[in-house]
Amino acid sequence: METTLSDILQDIRSIYYYAPLAIKVAIIFIIVAVSATVLAYLVMLRSRYRNYRQQRRMARMLPKIDELLMNEIIANPNIPHDVAPSKVALDLEPFDELPLHKRWGREMLTERIIHYRNNVSGTAGDLLRNLYLQLDLDKDAMRKLKSRHWNKKVEALNEFTLMDMPIADVTILPLANSRNRELRAAARQAYIKLSKNEPFKFFDSVTDPLLPWDQVELYRIITTTTDIAIPNFARWITYSSNKSVVSFCMKLVVHYNQLAAVPAIIKLLENRDHTLRAEAIEALGRLKIAEVEDRLVHLYTSQPLFCQIAILKALGRIRSGRHIDFLRNEFLHSTDFDLRKAAARAIVKNEIMAREVIDELLATTTGENLLILKHCMNPLIKY
Amino acid sequence: MGKILLVEDDEVMPKIIARILPPPEYEVDIAVNGKEAIQKLEANHYQYDLVITDIMMPYANGFEILSKVKSHEREKPIPVIIVSNAGNEDMIMEGFKLGVDDFLKKPIIPAELVIRVKRLLMRNK
Repeated sequence: METTLSDILQDIRSIYYYAPLAIKVAIIFIIVAVSATVLAYLVMLRSRYRNYRQQRRMARMLPKIDELLMNEIIANPNIPHDVAPSKVALDLEPFDELPLHKRWGREMLTERIIHYRNNVSGTAGDLLRNLYLQLDLDKDAMRKLKSRHWNKKVEALNEFTLMDMPIADVTILPLANSRNRELRAAARQAYIKLSKNEPFKFFDSVTDPLLPWDQVELYRIITTTTDIAIPNFARWITYSSNKSVVSFCMKLVVHYNQLAAVPAIIKLLENRDHTLRAEAIEALGRLKIAEVEDRLVHLYTSQPLFCQIAILKALGRIRSGRHIDFLRNEFLHSTDFDLRKAAARAIVKNEIMAREVIDELLATTTGENLLILKHCMNPLIKY
Repeated sequence: MGKILLVEDDEVMPKIIARILPPPEYEVDIAVNGKEAIQKLEANHYQYDLVITDIMMPYANGFEILSKVKSHEREKPIPVIIVSNAGNEDMIMEGFKLGVDDFLKKPIIPAELVIRVKRLLMRNK
Protein backbone atom coordinates (compact mmCIF):
# COMPACT_ATOMS: atom_id res chain seq x y z
CA MET A 1 0.00 0.00 0.00
CA GLU A 2 1.36 3.43 -0.94
CA THR A 3 1.89 5.95 1.90
CA THR A 4 1.37 9.55 1.00
CA LEU A 5 2.51 12.68 2.82
CA SER A 6 -1.02 13.34 3.99
CA ASP A 7 -1.08 9.86 5.57
CA ILE A 8 2.12 10.63 7.49
CA LEU A 9 0.72 13.95 8.68
CA GLN A 10 -2.48 12.20 9.67
CA ASP A 11 -0.45 9.65 11.72
CA ILE A 12 1.50 12.43 13.45
CA ARG A 13 -1.73 14.26 14.19
CA SER A 14 -3.31 11.14 15.73
CA ILE A 15 -0.16 10.38 17.79
CA TYR A 16 -0.18 13.98 19.06
CA TYR A 17 -3.94 13.84 19.69
CA TYR A 18 -3.83 10.67 21.84
CA ALA A 19 -0.51 11.49 23.56
CA PRO A 20 -0.43 12.50 27.26
CA LEU A 21 -0.14 16.19 28.10
CA ALA A 22 3.58 15.98 29.07
CA ILE A 23 4.42 14.49 25.65
CA LYS A 24 2.38 17.18 23.91
CA VAL A 25 4.31 19.92 25.76
CA ALA A 26 7.61 18.21 24.97
CA ILE A 27 6.72 18.00 21.25
CA ILE A 28 5.81 21.69 21.13
CA PHE A 29 9.01 22.58 22.98
CA ILE A 30 11.13 20.51 20.55
CA ILE A 31 9.46 22.10 17.52
CA VAL A 32 9.99 25.62 18.90
CA ALA A 33 13.63 24.88 19.84
CA VAL A 34 14.45 23.34 16.43
CA SER A 35 12.76 26.23 14.59
CA ALA A 36 14.62 28.83 16.69
CA THR A 37 17.94 27.06 16.08
CA VAL A 38 17.33 26.88 12.34
CA LEU A 39 16.34 30.56 12.30
CA ALA A 40 19.45 31.56 14.26
CA TYR A 41 21.65 29.60 11.85
CA LEU A 42 19.96 31.29 8.90
CA VAL A 43 20.51 34.74 10.40
CA MET A 44 24.16 33.92 11.07
CA LEU A 45 24.61 32.52 7.57
CA ARG A 46 23.04 35.63 6.07
CA SER A 47 25.25 37.95 8.08
CA ARG A 48 28.37 35.92 7.26
CA TYR A 49 27.48 35.92 3.59
CA ARG A 50 27.00 39.71 3.70
CA ASN A 51 30.36 40.14 5.42
CA TYR A 52 31.98 37.84 2.90
CA ARG A 53 30.48 39.84 0.03
CA GLN A 54 31.60 43.09 1.64
CA GLN A 55 35.13 41.74 2.11
CA ARG A 56 35.25 40.71 -1.55
CA ARG A 57 34.00 44.08 -2.66
CA MET A 58 36.56 45.78 -0.43
CA ALA A 59 39.39 43.64 -1.73
CA ARG A 60 38.35 44.61 -5.25
CA MET A 61 37.57 48.27 -4.62
CA LEU A 62 40.14 49.50 -2.08
CA PRO A 63 43.21 49.21 -4.32
CA LYS A 64 41.30 51.15 -6.99
CA ILE A 65 40.22 53.82 -4.50
CA ASP A 66 43.77 54.10 -3.09
CA GLU A 67 45.19 54.46 -6.57
CA LEU A 68 42.67 57.16 -7.45
CA LEU A 69 43.18 59.10 -4.22
CA MET A 70 46.95 58.95 -4.64
CA ASN A 71 46.96 59.93 -8.30
CA GLU A 72 44.23 62.53 -8.21
CA ILE A 73 44.64 64.06 -4.75
CA ILE A 74 47.73 63.27 -2.67
CA ALA A 75 50.39 63.21 -5.38
CA ASN A 76 48.72 64.94 -8.31
CA PRO A 77 51.21 67.37 -9.89
CA ASN A 78 48.41 69.05 -11.90
CA ILE A 79 46.65 70.51 -8.85
CA PRO A 80 47.06 74.28 -9.17
CA HIS A 81 48.99 75.80 -6.25
CA ASP A 82 47.64 79.32 -6.74
CA VAL A 83 44.03 78.32 -5.96
CA ALA A 84 42.73 77.52 -2.48
CA PRO A 85 42.31 73.70 -2.12
CA SER A 86 38.62 74.14 -1.33
CA LYS A 87 38.09 76.00 -4.63
CA VAL A 88 40.01 73.63 -6.92
CA ALA A 89 37.77 72.07 -9.59
CA LEU A 90 38.85 68.45 -9.37
CA ASP A 91 38.80 66.09 -12.32
CA LEU A 92 36.06 63.68 -11.27
CA GLU A 93 36.08 61.59 -14.44
CA PRO A 94 38.55 58.98 -13.12
CA PHE A 95 36.16 58.35 -10.22
CA ASP A 96 33.48 57.20 -12.68
CA GLU A 97 35.10 53.77 -12.70
CA LEU A 98 33.95 53.30 -9.10
CA PRO A 99 30.38 52.05 -8.53
CA LEU A 100 29.30 55.33 -6.93
CA HIS A 101 25.70 54.81 -8.09
CA LYS A 102 25.51 52.11 -5.40
CA ARG A 103 25.29 52.98 -1.73
CA TRP A 104 28.00 50.55 -0.64
CA GLY A 105 30.34 52.02 -3.23
CA ARG A 106 29.82 55.54 -1.92
CA GLU A 107 30.15 54.36 1.70
CA MET A 108 33.42 52.62 0.94
CA LEU A 109 34.86 55.72 -0.73
CA THR A 110 33.68 57.94 2.13
CA GLU A 111 35.30 55.66 4.73
CA ARG A 112 38.54 55.68 2.78
CA ILE A 113 38.55 59.46 2.40
CA ILE A 114 38.04 59.76 6.18
CA HIS A 115 40.84 57.26 6.76
CA TYR A 116 43.16 59.34 4.56
CA ARG A 117 42.12 62.56 6.29
CA ASN A 118 43.06 61.00 9.63
CA ASN A 119 46.56 60.60 8.24
CA VAL A 120 47.12 63.72 6.14
CA SER A 121 46.25 67.35 6.67
CA GLY A 122 47.09 70.66 5.03
CA THR A 123 46.45 70.97 1.30
CA ALA A 124 46.00 67.21 0.85
CA GLY A 125 43.45 67.09 3.67
CA ASP A 126 41.52 70.05 2.23
CA LEU A 127 41.55 68.49 -1.23
CA LEU A 128 40.11 65.27 0.21
CA ARG A 129 37.29 67.29 1.76
CA ASN A 130 36.77 69.06 -1.54
CA LEU A 131 36.51 65.69 -3.30
CA TYR A 132 33.98 64.50 -0.70
CA LEU A 133 31.84 67.55 -1.45
CA GLN A 134 32.21 67.47 -5.22
CA LEU A 135 31.13 63.82 -5.30
CA ASP A 136 28.08 64.74 -3.17
CA LEU A 137 29.03 62.17 -0.55
CA ASP A 138 27.79 64.55 2.16
CA LYS A 139 24.22 63.97 0.96
CA ASP A 140 24.36 60.36 2.16
CA ALA A 141 25.45 61.55 5.61
CA MET A 142 22.62 64.09 5.61
CA ARG A 143 20.16 61.28 4.81
CA LYS A 144 21.61 59.22 7.67
CA LEU A 145 21.19 62.19 9.98
CA LYS A 146 17.46 62.14 9.23
CA SER A 147 17.20 58.38 9.79
CA ARG A 148 14.98 57.00 12.55
CA HIS A 149 17.85 54.89 13.90
CA TRP A 150 20.08 56.59 16.46
CA ASN A 151 23.18 54.63 15.41
CA LYS A 152 22.85 55.96 11.84
CA LYS A 153 22.60 59.48 13.23
CA VAL A 154 25.74 58.95 15.32
CA GLU A 155 27.54 57.66 12.21
CA ALA A 156 26.48 60.76 10.28
CA LEU A 157 27.55 63.11 13.08
CA ASN A 158 30.96 61.45 13.31
CA GLU A 159 31.33 61.72 9.55
CA PHE A 160 30.45 65.41 9.56
CA THR A 161 32.87 66.03 12.44
CA LEU A 162 35.73 64.24 10.73
CA MET A 163 35.03 65.98 7.42
CA ASP A 164 34.69 69.35 9.16
CA MET A 165 31.22 69.92 7.66
CA PRO A 166 29.04 72.57 9.27
CA ILE A 167 25.54 71.46 10.34
CA ALA A 168 22.59 73.79 10.81
CA ASP A 169 21.69 74.53 14.44
CA VAL A 170 18.07 73.47 13.87
CA THR A 171 19.28 70.02 12.88
CA ILE A 172 21.88 69.43 15.55
CA LEU A 173 20.56 71.23 18.64
CA PRO A 174 17.61 68.85 19.18
CA LEU A 175 20.08 65.93 18.98
CA ALA A 176 22.29 67.58 21.61
CA ASN A 177 19.36 67.16 24.01
CA SER A 178 18.43 63.64 22.91
CA ARG A 179 17.44 61.09 25.52
CA ASN A 180 19.85 58.62 23.95
CA ARG A 181 23.21 59.02 25.70
CA GLU A 182 25.39 58.04 22.72
CA LEU A 183 23.53 60.30 20.34
CA ARG A 184 23.57 63.18 22.80
CA ALA A 185 27.34 62.86 23.31
CA ALA A 186 28.02 62.64 19.57
CA ALA A 187 25.82 65.66 18.84
CA ARG A 188 27.46 67.78 21.53
CA GLN A 189 30.91 66.76 20.36
CA ALA A 190 29.98 67.60 16.77
CA TYR A 191 28.46 70.92 17.81
CA ILE A 192 31.54 71.99 19.78
CA LYS A 193 33.89 70.98 16.99
CA LEU A 194 31.87 72.34 14.07
CA SER A 195 30.43 75.55 15.42
CA LYS A 196 33.30 77.98 15.07
CA ASN A 197 31.55 81.06 16.50
CA GLU A 198 29.35 79.75 19.30
CA PRO A 199 30.38 76.20 20.16
CA PHE A 200 28.60 76.35 23.50
CA LYS A 201 25.25 77.60 22.31
CA PHE A 202 23.62 74.31 23.24
CA PHE A 203 24.08 75.24 26.90
CA ASP A 204 21.20 77.67 26.28
CA SER A 205 18.85 74.91 25.29
CA VAL A 206 19.90 72.10 27.67
CA THR A 207 16.77 71.29 29.63
CA ASP A 208 17.69 68.02 31.36
CA PRO A 209 20.52 67.97 33.91
CA LEU A 210 24.00 67.30 32.52
CA LEU A 211 24.78 63.94 34.09
CA PRO A 212 28.21 63.50 35.72
CA TRP A 213 29.31 61.24 32.87
CA ASP A 214 28.09 63.81 30.30
CA GLN A 215 30.13 66.43 32.12
CA VAL A 216 33.25 64.25 32.05
CA GLU A 217 32.77 63.66 28.31
CA LEU A 218 32.08 67.32 27.58
CA TYR A 219 35.03 68.45 29.66
CA ARG A 220 37.30 66.10 27.70
CA ILE A 221 35.93 67.29 24.36
CA ILE A 222 36.14 70.99 25.22
CA THR A 223 39.59 70.89 26.74
CA THR A 224 41.10 68.75 23.99
CA THR A 225 39.52 70.42 20.96
CA THR A 226 41.82 72.94 19.37
CA ASP A 227 40.69 76.11 17.59
CA ILE A 228 37.42 76.66 19.41
CA ALA A 229 36.22 80.04 20.56
CA ILE A 230 36.09 80.01 24.36
CA PRO A 231 33.30 82.31 25.55
CA ASN A 232 32.96 84.03 28.93
CA PHE A 233 31.20 81.32 30.94
CA ALA A 234 29.80 83.97 33.29
CA ARG A 235 26.93 84.18 30.81
CA TRP A 236 25.58 80.77 31.84
CA ILE A 237 26.65 81.07 35.47
CA THR A 238 24.46 84.16 35.72
CA TYR A 239 21.49 83.32 33.53
CA SER A 240 21.15 79.56 33.11
CA SER A 241 18.26 78.02 34.98
CA ASN A 242 19.89 74.60 34.67
CA LYS A 243 21.96 74.04 37.81
CA SER A 244 24.13 71.37 36.20
CA VAL A 245 25.10 73.82 33.43
CA VAL A 246 26.03 76.44 36.04
CA SER A 247 28.09 73.91 37.96
CA PHE A 248 29.81 72.68 34.78
CA CYS A 249 30.56 76.24 33.64
CA MET A 250 32.28 76.92 36.97
CA LYS A 251 34.60 73.98 36.30
CA LEU A 252 35.38 75.45 32.87
CA VAL A 253 36.02 78.88 34.40
CA VAL A 254 38.59 77.25 36.70
CA HIS A 255 40.15 75.32 33.80
CA TYR A 256 40.53 78.43 31.63
CA ASN A 257 41.36 80.64 34.64
CA GLN A 258 38.64 83.08 33.52
CA LEU A 259 38.98 85.83 36.07
CA ALA A 260 36.31 87.84 34.23
CA ALA A 261 33.74 85.31 35.43
CA VAL A 262 34.69 85.69 39.11
CA PRO A 263 31.96 88.30 39.94
CA ALA A 264 29.32 85.89 38.60
CA ILE A 265 30.70 83.12 40.82
CA ILE A 266 30.80 85.42 43.85
CA LYS A 267 27.08 86.12 43.33
CA LEU A 268 26.46 82.39 43.72
CA LEU A 269 27.57 82.64 47.34
CA GLU A 270 24.06 83.99 47.96
CA ASN A 271 22.37 81.17 46.06
CA ARG A 272 19.84 79.13 48.01
CA ASP A 273 21.14 75.86 46.59
CA HIS A 274 23.78 74.46 48.98
CA THR A 275 25.48 72.36 46.33
CA LEU A 276 25.93 75.30 43.97
CA ARG A 277 27.21 77.42 46.85
CA ALA A 278 29.77 74.78 47.79
CA GLU A 279 30.86 74.51 44.15
CA ALA A 280 31.18 78.31 43.90
CA ILE A 281 33.35 78.32 47.04
CA GLU A 282 35.49 75.55 45.60
CA ALA A 283 35.89 77.43 42.29
CA LEU A 284 36.89 80.64 44.09
CA GLY A 285 39.46 78.68 46.08
CA ARG A 286 40.89 77.04 42.98
CA LEU A 287 41.06 80.44 41.26
CA LYS A 288 42.88 81.76 44.38
CA ILE A 289 40.65 84.82 44.79
CA ALA A 290 42.06 86.33 47.98
CA GLU A 291 39.44 89.14 47.99
CA VAL A 292 36.66 86.71 48.96
CA GLU A 293 38.44 85.24 51.97
CA ASP A 294 36.87 87.64 54.49
CA ARG A 295 33.43 86.98 53.04
CA LEU A 296 33.93 83.21 53.21
CA VAL A 297 35.01 83.43 56.86
CA HIS A 298 32.00 85.66 57.57
CA LEU A 299 29.64 83.16 55.90
CA TYR A 300 31.19 80.14 57.62
CA THR A 301 28.99 79.77 60.71
CA SER A 302 25.72 79.96 58.74
CA GLN A 303 26.66 77.23 56.26
CA PRO A 304 25.90 73.50 56.22
CA LEU A 305 28.76 71.09 56.82
CA PHE A 306 29.86 70.50 53.23
CA CYS A 307 29.93 74.26 52.53
CA GLN A 308 32.03 74.74 55.68
CA ILE A 309 34.48 72.08 54.45
CA ALA A 310 34.57 73.83 51.04
CA ILE A 311 35.39 77.14 52.78
CA LEU A 312 38.24 75.61 54.76
CA LYS A 313 39.62 73.98 51.62
CA ALA A 314 39.32 77.30 49.74
CA LEU A 315 41.29 79.09 52.50
CA GLY A 316 43.95 76.41 52.13
CA ARG A 317 44.10 76.91 48.37
CA ILE A 318 44.19 80.72 48.51
CA ARG A 319 47.04 80.59 51.06
CA SER A 320 47.03 84.30 51.94
CA GLY A 321 47.89 83.54 55.56
CA ARG A 322 45.36 86.12 56.79
CA HIS A 323 43.02 83.66 58.51
CA ILE A 324 45.38 81.27 60.24
CA ASP A 325 43.87 82.07 63.65
CA PHE A 326 40.42 81.19 62.32
CA LEU A 327 41.75 77.91 60.92
CA ARG A 328 43.56 77.20 64.21
CA ASN A 329 40.35 77.74 66.19
CA GLU A 330 38.39 75.44 63.88
CA PHE A 331 41.09 72.79 64.16
CA LEU A 332 41.16 72.95 67.93
CA HIS A 333 37.51 73.48 68.77
CA SER A 334 35.41 71.91 66.04
CA THR A 335 33.57 68.77 67.05
CA ASP A 336 33.39 67.36 63.52
CA PHE A 337 36.28 65.19 62.36
CA ASP A 338 36.09 66.30 58.70
CA LEU A 339 36.14 69.96 59.67
CA ARG A 340 39.20 69.47 61.84
CA LYS A 341 40.92 67.57 59.05
CA ALA A 342 40.09 70.28 56.45
CA ALA A 343 41.27 73.00 58.85
CA ALA A 344 44.53 71.17 59.56
CA ARG A 345 45.16 70.72 55.85
CA ALA A 346 44.45 74.42 55.22
CA ILE A 347 46.90 75.41 57.99
CA VAL A 348 49.59 73.15 56.52
CA LYS A 349 48.97 74.56 53.03
CA ASN A 350 49.63 78.07 54.35
CA GLU A 351 53.18 76.79 54.87
CA ILE A 352 55.62 79.58 55.82
CA MET A 353 53.00 81.97 57.21
CA ALA A 354 51.60 79.26 59.44
CA ARG A 355 54.97 77.88 60.56
CA GLU A 356 54.67 79.21 64.11
CA VAL A 357 51.11 77.94 64.50
CA ILE A 358 52.07 74.52 63.16
CA ASP A 359 55.01 74.28 65.60
CA GLU A 360 52.77 75.37 68.46
CA LEU A 361 50.08 72.83 67.51
CA LEU A 362 52.64 70.05 67.18
CA ALA A 363 53.89 70.86 70.67
CA THR A 364 50.54 71.27 72.38
CA THR A 365 47.99 68.99 70.68
CA THR A 366 47.57 65.38 71.64
CA GLY A 367 45.60 62.31 70.61
CA GLU A 368 43.43 62.44 67.51
CA ASN A 369 44.25 66.08 66.67
CA LEU A 370 47.97 65.36 66.64
CA LEU A 371 47.38 62.37 64.37
CA ILE A 372 45.29 64.52 62.00
CA LEU A 373 47.98 67.21 61.87
CA LYS A 374 50.77 64.73 61.22
CA HIS A 375 48.64 63.03 58.58
CA CYS A 376 48.11 66.39 56.82
CA MET A 377 51.82 67.21 57.03
CA ASN A 378 52.81 63.98 55.32
CA PRO A 379 53.61 65.00 51.72
CA LEU A 380 53.05 61.44 50.51
CA ILE A 381 49.37 61.50 51.53
CA LYS A 382 47.33 63.56 49.09
CA TYR A 383 43.81 62.99 50.35
CA MET B 1 69.63 57.65 -1.95
CA GLY B 2 68.16 57.13 1.51
CA LYS B 3 67.16 53.78 2.88
CA ILE B 4 64.24 54.28 5.24
CA LEU B 5 62.56 51.86 7.63
CA LEU B 6 58.91 52.77 8.11
CA VAL B 7 57.19 51.12 11.10
CA GLU B 8 53.46 51.62 10.89
CA ASP B 9 50.47 49.40 11.59
CA ASP B 10 47.99 51.59 9.70
CA GLU B 11 47.53 50.41 6.13
CA VAL B 12 47.15 53.85 4.54
CA MET B 13 50.20 55.64 5.94
CA PRO B 14 52.82 53.39 4.25
CA LYS B 15 51.06 53.95 0.92
CA ILE B 16 51.19 57.71 1.38
CA ILE B 17 54.82 57.71 2.50
CA ALA B 18 55.88 55.36 -0.27
CA ARG B 19 54.30 57.79 -2.72
CA ILE B 20 55.75 60.99 -1.30
CA LEU B 21 59.21 59.43 -0.85
CA PRO B 22 59.51 57.65 -4.19
CA PRO B 23 62.35 55.49 -5.56
CA PRO B 24 65.09 55.79 -6.71
CA GLU B 25 65.78 58.69 -4.34
CA TYR B 26 64.33 56.77 -1.38
CA GLU B 27 64.00 53.10 -0.61
CA VAL B 28 61.22 52.57 1.89
CA ASP B 29 61.18 49.30 3.81
CA ILE B 30 57.89 48.71 5.65
CA ALA B 31 57.31 46.88 8.95
CA VAL B 32 53.74 46.54 10.18
CA ASN B 33 54.56 46.07 13.87
CA GLY B 34 57.35 46.57 16.38
CA LYS B 35 58.51 42.98 16.33
CA GLU B 36 58.88 42.95 12.54
CA ALA B 37 60.74 46.27 12.72
CA ILE B 38 63.29 44.88 15.18
CA GLN B 39 63.69 41.76 13.03
CA LYS B 40 64.29 43.92 9.94
CA LEU B 41 66.77 46.12 11.76
CA GLU B 42 68.75 43.11 12.91
CA ALA B 43 68.52 41.28 9.59
CA ASN B 44 69.85 44.38 7.82
CA HIS B 45 72.53 45.02 10.49
CA TYR B 46 70.97 48.42 11.19
CA GLN B 47 71.95 49.62 7.72
CA TYR B 48 69.20 52.22 7.47
CA ASP B 49 69.62 55.94 6.93
CA LEU B 50 66.42 56.84 8.76
CA VAL B 51 63.65 55.22 10.80
CA ILE B 52 60.09 56.58 10.78
CA THR B 53 57.93 54.98 13.43
CA ASP B 54 54.51 55.18 15.02
CA ILE B 55 54.18 54.82 18.81
CA MET B 56 51.17 52.60 19.45
CA MET B 57 51.80 49.29 17.75
CA PRO B 58 51.43 45.60 18.53
CA TYR B 59 54.29 43.55 20.04
CA ALA B 60 56.75 46.45 20.53
CA ASN B 61 55.92 50.12 20.64
CA GLY B 62 57.71 53.02 18.97
CA PHE B 63 59.72 53.87 22.07
CA GLU B 64 61.13 50.35 22.24
CA ILE B 65 62.22 50.63 18.62
CA LEU B 66 63.68 54.06 19.30
CA SER B 67 65.67 52.74 22.27
CA LYS B 68 66.87 49.79 20.23
CA VAL B 69 68.01 52.03 17.36
CA LYS B 70 69.68 54.60 19.59
CA SER B 71 71.45 52.00 21.74
CA HIS B 72 72.96 50.32 18.70
CA GLU B 73 76.57 51.36 18.37
CA ARG B 74 77.63 52.71 15.02
CA GLU B 75 79.63 55.65 13.77
CA LYS B 76 76.61 57.86 13.15
CA PRO B 77 73.39 57.01 15.00
CA ILE B 78 70.35 56.41 12.81
CA PRO B 79 68.00 59.40 12.96
CA VAL B 80 64.46 58.57 14.07
CA ILE B 81 61.22 60.43 13.35
CA ILE B 82 58.12 59.57 15.35
CA VAL B 83 54.86 60.03 13.47
CA SER B 84 51.93 59.43 15.77
CA ASN B 85 48.44 60.57 16.61
CA ALA B 86 49.12 59.80 20.28
CA GLY B 87 51.19 62.92 20.72
CA ASN B 88 50.41 64.16 24.21
CA GLU B 89 52.96 66.16 26.17
CA ASP B 90 54.25 63.19 28.16
CA MET B 91 54.80 61.11 25.06
CA ILE B 92 56.65 63.90 23.26
CA MET B 93 58.87 64.41 26.33
CA GLU B 94 59.48 60.67 26.60
CA GLY B 95 60.42 60.55 22.90
CA PHE B 96 62.94 63.39 23.21
CA LYS B 97 64.39 61.88 26.39
CA LEU B 98 65.04 58.68 24.46
CA GLY B 99 66.76 60.65 21.71
CA VAL B 100 64.17 61.02 18.95
CA ASP B 101 65.30 63.46 16.26
CA ASP B 102 61.87 64.70 15.22
CA PHE B 103 58.25 64.30 16.25
CA LEU B 104 55.29 64.71 13.90
CA LYS B 105 51.69 64.52 14.95
CA LYS B 106 49.11 62.85 12.72
CA PRO B 107 47.50 63.97 10.49
CA ILE B 108 50.76 64.96 8.83
CA ILE B 109 51.35 67.48 6.08
CA PRO B 110 53.05 65.33 3.42
CA ALA B 111 55.32 68.12 2.12
CA GLU B 112 56.48 68.84 5.67
CA LEU B 113 57.45 65.22 6.24
CA VAL B 114 59.45 65.19 2.99
CA ILE B 115 61.39 68.30 4.10
CA ARG B 116 62.09 66.87 7.55
CA VAL B 117 63.26 63.56 6.06
CA LYS B 118 65.56 65.37 3.61
CA ARG B 119 66.99 67.53 6.39
CA LEU B 120 67.78 64.55 8.63
CA LEU B 121 69.31 62.58 5.77
CA MET B 122 71.48 65.58 4.81
CA ARG B 123 72.58 66.03 8.42
CA ASN B 124 73.69 62.44 8.68
CA LYS B 125 75.60 62.33 5.40
